[in-house]
Amino acid sequence: MPQLDTSTWFTTVLTSTITLFILIQLKISLQNFPNKPSNKYLKTLKLSNPWELKWTKIFSPLSLPLQ
Amino acid sequence: MNENLFASFITPTMMGLPVVIIIIMLPSMMLTSSNRLLSNRFHTFQQWVVKMITKQMMSIHSPKGQTWCLMLVSLIIFIGSTNLLGLLPHTFTPTTQLSMNLGMAIPLWAGTVFLGFRHKMKSTLAHFLPQGTPIPLIPMLIIIETISLFIQPMALAVRLTANITAGHLLMHLIGGATLVLTSISPPTAMITFIILVLLTILEFAVALIQAYVFTLLVSLYLHDNT
Repeated sequence: MPQLDTSTWFTTVLTSTITLFILIQLKISLQNFPNKPSNKYLKTLKLSNPWELKWTKIFSPLSLPLQ
Repeated sequence: MNENLFASFITPTMMGLPVVIIIIMLPSMMLTSSNRLLSNRFHTFQQWVVKMITKQMMSIHSPKGQTWCLMLVSLIIFIGSTNLLGLLPHTFTPTTQLSMNLGMAIPLWAGTVFLGFRHKMKSTLAHFLPQGTPIPLIPMLIIIETISLFIQPMALAVRLTANITAGHLLMHLIGGATLVLTSISPPTAMITFIILVLLTILEFAVALIQAYVFTLLVSLYLHDNT
């Protein structure tokens, strides 16, 4: 039976190990499965910025220090 | 006739160069990769197959077992594509080589055993003694369980080799018989039909991959989760 001829066993085992554990896993890991496209959340969230409740006089350009 | 029959299972070398390397690496070159959301049919089909296999096989595992997902998926795709390509005429099927199947079975089985020993030492050792055995039978049963554990990789490898080899041999034999009988008597249409049916049944060599990976999977499951 030619399968029991051990002279070629080293080549076969080495090649199949490299193929199985490296090549094919690389190829399959490159496939990506993106999530299903869903609606974007359009309502803007209301943020509370307590420091901007009032527009204060110090922001007027004329009152800023001269450059 | 013996020499002729087994000639297709010799590891192919072309003028001394081991062509078997290219033959084994060929199915991996057919796997495509793409970054797009909608790719061509070929790539979409492969993605669908991988997704189906992943869902089917990894659903019964714990999170620890699910780290083996990539390994098992590539195993089933490798063996499946290799077997299917071997059904074409005049091709060489690497899975008929006992060397390759042993090279696949032994490392994977050993990996599952070591994983079981590292993470669940007591329950792995407890597998050697089923519950409720009468005390005089204990030594013999432990020996039997050890033998059945060590025979698992051998069974995996020899099962795959023998099934694929036997199928290919049968196809050669029946094809040869049909050719000879065509000139002798026309009811060879029936024998040709038998070849066709055999070929279709042999295409359930893909089912053999299922058997291979499922047994591996069961082994992993048992060693890891129970």
